[in-house]
Amino acid sequence: MNDMRLVERDVDATDIKIKARNVQVYYGASHAIKDVDVDILDKTVTAFIGPSGCGKSTFLRCLNRMNDTIDIARIEGQILLDGEDIYDKRVDPVQLRAKVGMVFQKPNPFPKSIYDNVAYGPKIHGLTRSKAELDEVVEKSLRRAALWGEVKDRLDKPGTGLSGGQQQRLCIARAVATSPEVLLMDEPCSALDPIATAQVEELIDELKQNFSVVIVTHSMQQAARVSQRTAFFHLGNLVEYGETGQIFTNPSDPRTESYITGRIG
Amino acid sequence: MEPHIASVFDRDLEAVQAMIMKMGGVVEAQILDSAQALESRDAELAEKVRVTDRVVDELEERVNAEAARLLALRQPTASDLRTVLAVMKIAASLERVGDYCKNMAKRSHVLANMPSINGSGMALRRMAKTVEGMMKDALDAYIKRDVELAQDVLSRDQDVDQMYNALFREFLTYMMEDPRNITPCMHLHFIAKNIERMGDHATTVAEQVIYLVTGNMPDEPRPKTESVMPADLGDGED
Repeated sequence: MNDMRLVERDVDATDIKIKARNVQVYYGASHAIKDVDVDILDKTVTAFIGPSGCGKSTFLRCLNRMNDTIDIARIEGQILLDGEDIYDKRVDPVQLRAKVGMVFQKPNPFPKSIYDNVAYGPKIHGLTRSKAELDEVVEKSLRRAALWGEVKDRLDKPGTGLSGGQQQRLCIARAVATSPEVLLMDEPCSALDPIATAQVEELIDELKQNFSVVIVTHSMQQAARVSQRTAFFHLGNLVEYGETGQIFTNPSDPRTESYITGRIG
Repeated sequence: MEPHIASVFDRDLEAVQAMIMKMGGVVEAQILDSAQALESRDAELAEKVRVTDRVVDELEERVNAEAARLLALRQPTASDLRTVLAVMKIAASLERVGDYCKNMAKRSHVLANMPSINGSGMALRRMAKTVEGMMKDALDAYIKRDVELAQDVLSRDQDVDQMYNALFREFLTYMMEDPRNITPCMHLHFIAKNIERMGDHATTVAEQVIYLVTGNMPDEPRPKTESVMPADLGDGED
């Protein structure tokens, strides 16, 4: 009777992909992430929700060391990807980001052809040995991003000439081209119309067959629609983390309840 | 709990809850009036109960329409969602109770032209009074979000079952004594059964209060009387 999402639960993965322990992030003097522990599951969509400035994007950016690019950012604690510390000195952040891909809020295709946008990652990481192999990766990635049918006859045209929704799916194709294991998405639909949003959401659902997907979203309905796990952040704390159906029908923390019912901003 | 940022959401939720309270008030009066009409053979009061049922039906439709609107436009979550789900179930229960009252009113028209069965009117009115008290407390528990009071309502349902069982035996005895009692006793038995069902609807309302507040349905099945007597024989509706 309490199982609101029996079907999803049956297929739920239990393997932990990313294990974060006592994670603290400081931007200069400000303490942006406070002691966050979380287990991100493999082959599962995890949504990070919370009001602006709660730290959800900051935490997301820790997962592929994007915060390394910010001088004043300092990270403490442990983030393990398949048991290995991603902040270990021996880890090359560029290699890490091939494994932990990212899609941003605004579609940001390179000012290159559609083909080159997708081929870029595999090329610089030396993932393919021949043109034929690269062609194959490009096609497979575009298919995965549900864009192949729309662009297969104009692969040499600039990626920036596509519509917003298509550009975002191109960025997703670019992200999956390096065969990542985790896909981070920071507000991937906020610049898209409802139809393009639905397409991207459908895509996220398909991507979870192969990847662990973590999505930051301001739309609680979107979090409810696409994710199996939801984490609610507030003032730098991870307030509550649990099964999405439970979070949206019967959250245990009053702060979660207030936020998802539209009582605090 | 603090108000929503969108104040119109609060107004909509309050409006639908006000409809439930209005429905509850009408239905409580229906229960008492129909039992009173039966006991005192008051055809006018019975007619009033019959006509008022339409008001209850209309209110239920309005509650459902408003709940559908809230679901579509506000996508309620957590306790808001549970409120919307609960008002729909409570409205359905109240509507059923209204129907039972109407049925009782119709039967009291028929019974008015038959020999009276000793003491049955009073016993049924006492049973109706108990059920009305349960419904009143269930609705109070709803408004106050009072789980303890709702639990109390659940525990009182067995009293109603006991009253029903006692009446069942009594009617059976009257029917065996004199076949001329069969027709009125059959009607009276249906009335008793209907009142017993009203008690079940009061417990449904109380269960919804517990779900609304805690997010879970009550764990324990509500207490049942020991004997395998009529209330337990089961029509599968329980």
